[in-house]
Amino acid sequence: MLDILKWIDATAMAEEIRVSVWIFPALEVAHVAAIALVLGSIARVDLRLAGLASRDRSITEISREMLPWTWAGFALATLFGVLLFVGQPLRYVEVAFFDAKIILILLAGLNMLAFEYLTRRSVGRWDRAPIPPVQVRLAGGLSLAFWISVVICGRFIGFV
Amino acid sequence: MFEGLSSWLEQTELHSIFSDTTHLATWLIIPLSQTVHILGVAIVMMAVGMMNLHLLGVQVTRQSFAQLSERWMPWLWAAMGVLFLTGAIQTIAEPTREFMNNTFRIKIVLLLIAVAITVIYRTQIKKDPKYWDLSGEHRTLALGLASLSLVLWLGIVAAGRLIAYVGAIDEF
Repeated sequence: MLDILKWIDATAMAEEIRVSVWIFPALEVAHVAAIALVLGSIARVDLRLAGLASRDRSITEISREMLPWTWAGFALATLFGVLLFVGQPLRYVEVAFFDAKIILILLAGLNMLAFEYLTRRSVGRWDRAPIPPVQVRLAGGLSLAFWISVVICGRFIGFV
Repeated sequence: MFEGLSSWLEQTELHSIFSDTTHLATWLIIPLSQTVHILGVAIVMMAVGMMNLHLLGVQVTRQSFAQLSERWMPWLWAAMGVLFLTGAIQTIAEPTREFMNNTFRIKIVLLLIAVAITVIYRTQIKKDPKYWDLSGEHRTLALGLASLSLVLWLGIVAAGRLIAYVGAIDEF
């Protein structure tokens, strides 16, 4: 693992990101914009799942509107995030907040998978329910908590 | 003027509390404030993104602009309140980082214009629910304002992050 990171650290691309005056700031801006897209869109879905907002619209309708943006945003955020990481791989793996962030992203993903393959099967019964069943509300609440925690950890990486 | 304002802020009680990095509780203030600021940004970006894309003819949702506006404006203004509050906390903590920085000043100017456009959206839609329809007579204005608004808001986000890197006014 360490060897791979050392190899990445020694590449010309990593060096370029480190020494350039504008590349890192530009990557950060792009990363933040992508995050806003992920968070804003998933929050909308999660708040509906939790029965806290847009209760007059069906869950499938809101999901269909928002999730493409979530995925697009996530793809972009990951792309820019990887490039940010490449600049100083050895440093970031030492930062607890970075590790926590990755774990939380994985947990958020697992939560979404669990919802998709387990809970969502019965969607016909609660799609229009203003207050969905408890396991649906839990999925929404957990998702929101995970993603907000990801943002917190992400921001704190820059402070330690 | 900004120098005076910065100096005055640096002497306040709040400033000493917010900028105290020796205690964990107060050290957390700036990072947490910035985090909440980011969450507010996400809400605003969704609101202005959906409204502007709709005005540009992109079918993000089946709702009309009037309905979008009705739903999103409360969230937008609430988020702006949170953004202002967290922005104030961060500025009180580090006055010169904001006030003596051209990137910050540009950000605020862009913000004022973007907010003005948002207010125009609201005042017109309340008088006439079809005011901004692309099939209507204000098509050009709708397209123009929506394009400008999107660029402005993205510029505001970019400027916000770039304050840390560029624009500091050295001689003061």
